[in-house]
Amino acid sequence: MSQIGLDHPQQKSAMLNEATIRWSLWLGSKLLRGLSLLCGASFIIYATLRSAPGDMVDLILGLNGTPEMKADLRAEFGLDLNIIEGYGRWAWRALSGDLGISITFMPGEPVLSLAGPAFLVTLSIAVVSLLCSIAVAYGLAILLGPPRPRQAFLLGPIQLLNAAPSFVVAICLAKVINELIQFQLAGGGQIPPSWYPIPTYQKITDSIAPFCFAALSISLGDGLFTDLFNALRAELMSLNESLFISAVRAKGAAVRKHLIKNLIVPTLSVFTARLPLVLSAVVIVEYIFTLDGSGYLLLQAAKNRDVPVVVGVSLFFIFAVIVMNLILDLVKALVDPREVAKGD
Amino acid sequence: MTGQSTGQSTRQSTWYSTWYSTWHSAWKEQPLSFKLSSIIVVLVLCFGVINPFISYDPVLDVELSRRDLAPSWEYWMGTDGQGRSVALRLFKGIEAFFFPGLIAGLFAAFVGGVLGALCGYFGGWIGRSLSAVLELIDTLPRMVFLVLICTIFPPSILLISIISSVLFIPSIATIIRRKVEALGAEDYILAHVAHGFHPLKIISYHILWLQCRALLTRQMIFVFSYVLFIETALSYLGDYGVQEPYPSWGNMVAQSRISAVAWPWALPALAIIITIAALLAFGDGIARREEEVKR
Amino acid sequence: MSEQTLVDVQDLVIEFDTPKGRVRVVDGVSFSVSPGEVLGILGESGSGKTMSTQAILGLIGGYPGVMGGQINLNDQGVTYELLKDLPSFISERRGQPEKNERAWRKHRYAQMKKLWGRAITSIFQNPRRSLDPLMTVGQQVKESIQARESHKDALERLNDQAQTEEALEWLAKVQMVDPARVYHSYPHELSGGMCQRAMIAVALACKPSILVADEPTTGLDATVRAQIVHLLQDLIKAEQCAMLYITHDIREMLYLADRVIVMRHGKVLEQVSANDLKEHALERHEYTQVLLDAAGMIGAHDE
Repeated sequence: MSQIGLDHPQQKSAMLNEATIRWSLWLGSKLLRGLSLLCGASFIIYATLRSAPGDMVDLILGLNGTPEMKADLRAEFGLDLNIIEGYGRWAWRALSGDLGISITFMPGEPVLSLAGPAFLVTLSIAVVSLLCSIAVAYGLAILLGPPRPRQAFLLGPIQLLNAAPSFVVAICLAKVINELIQFQLAGGGQIPPSWYPIPTYQKITDSIAPFCFAALSISLGDGLFTDLFNALRAELMSLNESLFISAVRAKGAAVRKHLIKNLIVPTLSVFTARLPLVLSAVVIVEYIFTLDGSGYLLLQAAKNRDVPVVVGVSLFFIFAVIVMNLILDLVKALVDPREVAKGD
Repeated sequence: MTGQSTGQSTRQSTWYSTWYSTWHSAWKEQPLSFKLSSIIVVLVLCFGVINPFISYDPVLDVELSRRDLAPSWEYWMGTDGQGRSVALRLFKGIEAFFFPGLIAGLFAAFVGGVLGALCGYFGGWIGRSLSAVLELIDTLPRMVFLVLICTIFPPSILLISIISSVLFIPSIATIIRRKVEALGAEDYILAHVAHGFHPLKIISYHILWLQCRALLTRQMIFVFSYVLFIETALSYLGDYGVQEPYPSWGNMVAQSRISAVAWPWALPALAIIITIAALLAFGDGIARREEEVKR
Repeated sequence: MSEQTLVDVQDLVIEFDTPKGRVRVVDGVSFSVSPGEVLGILGESGSGKTMSTQAILGLIGGYPGVMGGQINLNDQGVTYELLKDLPSFISERRGQPEKNERAWRKHRYAQMKKLWGRAITSIFQNPRRSLDPLMTVGQQVKESIQARESHKDALERLNDQAQTEEALEWLAKVQMVDPARVYHSYPHELSGGMCQRAMIAVALACKPSILVADEPTTGLDATVRAQIVHLLQDLIKAEQCAMLYITHDIREMLYLADRVIVMRHGKVLEQVSANDLKEHALERHEYTQVLLDAAGMIGAHDE
């Protein structure tokens, strides 16, 4: 019996082959889905543009557009062609990195060089606030254990307050900080700090403070924290009562390794579900703290009716959501073999 | 024989008394958070309904001689920087999101429920292509897409609420589809099919009405609270939502930028927080109660 | 408690809070198991048989849980009184006993940590759910070997290679068709019967002195059930391990058990040897006769 070793070459290679085929099929289907989603979503945006009332070019340029600018714009959005061909040309240009040129907000500046760096700021705020709330929620869920009546008095009000929209939290936070600084200025007469938030609206990128305030108000708002906390706590409880954890205990092995591994997938699911909502929240919060991210860019451009910039930023958001979902799916599949076996 | 019939007649009761007794006993065992939140929801509902019958002229209300007054008997939430009564504006601000939110919620719940049920019940290529389209809409980032729409089309709060309800249809349809798929495997639904009930009756009555109404109500409330959120957010930004001098909770909060005193912006901020919290807690409570009843 | 018993349970009381008030699910149960013996616990569902064994294992969940009695566990000549400290966790409030379940659970885990696996271990009713879904079966068998080895001195421990080989051996011992393949499989890739075999391998690889088998054949096909019962019978003999076998199937019981206790409504109705149950069916307790009758055993014997 002991001759059956693990290093039987034929068997091992057969198993490896099978696994490779399954994995590459899975990865291919996921990539294909991501690509088709990208195409479809960008088509919706293009179709929305085409369905604008009146002549879009006049709408964008207003009265002061030169004929060359108009012709450029027509070519860029493929307005002379029918909707399918026009989309094809527009998408091809977008894919090759040409998202057009800003018209009214920052005239002459390529949209890609405006939206790209700004999007990094947005993405980092979203990810930092998500990670922070996951860490705190995870710690609290483990610390508090199963729900008890006495905790309801503490957690109930927190959960109710956490339902506040993040932009209201951000406004309150900004106002409080503002008052504190005013108070300090009145007393000591020092110069205001470089991140002095509202109502000065000066652009500050060199300070970490507004970044932290934005991340804090997103973590505290929109029910992000309580959603995560409730999901993790419910998952932890059902795991703790599950049969296999009892079985691991009964054989005298350490439980923690199994708990952590089994919590990864539900955590990632919450992450996936929450990411789009957090990205939308970032848009307004950035505006409130005048952070130089793509939300601020989007709202400023929209104020100036700068369509190419708004469209470029929207494409960035769509692309980011799809890529992040792909990455999260991949991590999930690496942890849980059932994801790959399930197929699509 | 006579005794039996009288026994039956005492057991029979009018529909409203049964309704009352079930709701009375159910009300007593609800947690405090649900009671509080349902009181607030009912208040918002009443205010929203009587709102159009009360006339208010925001321009005539301006009176600079009484600006920044503290709360008093006459202006019991104080006045803002232009001497307008905060309480009255707070009350009138409900109008900005109430009907749009109601329309968006009903529309999203109806279309999402029907599409989800169709996808789940029929499956096949119809279901698959429908869910592909829904997934496509779900990838659009909601806030960003709304800003895009507002840039291209002339912004109005009705357009915003319709677009946000369309953006919510996929998530509602997915929830309903999962539920219907789970139910489709249940024996009693198969038994209904075997008894020869019409599929439309099974979908609309046995599945959507009997099994999904709490889920749909909860989602409707969620969409309503999202419209409240988006309306206040856009009005705060100032370009797309309700414009001054007409009141909205959002543009009242925006006074934090200029206001010297707290109540003109802190009270509407508090109102937003409390209303959204109450709406969400109310929706959760309904869904939880329905689950308990089934068990 | 004599040196000859492995587990000795005296007057065990377990209660639970339900919406209808406090319910006593186990009411003064006493029994004991000697080394190498198979004790069967027979009873319908809800008779408290699973609860009593969960209490010995220290895995009971819910509030208030174990409320009284004694459980003595003998491990390599040392006797552990598992419920000795129980009274200090129970207080009186408004005329009803209240238990600090959290603290008690912590205390029990600390106590059982050295005993789980080595002295006592368990297999459960639902084999698919009692294996970690994210870990290969082989890893899980190896994990119990590692847990067992960690009790030994550093010098006597098996190295990693030897542990892997032993895990493979265990998979072969539970008559897996292709142990090397099963070693790399995840639980969702195996059938219910194979999962239960894997679970038996996981449990017995700990080399426990007593194995608690909680309805291990429920939910399996009839042919697979017979295989599992035979397998358990053979392996228990080979490993000289005592077993506490819980079931509601009287035929399995007669085949496996040396001694049987019959439980109903949280109480022990009678304790008999398996032979007596077979031979003198009509002298048994009324309820036992009902059970025998339901399995068609009484009529068959009378002829």
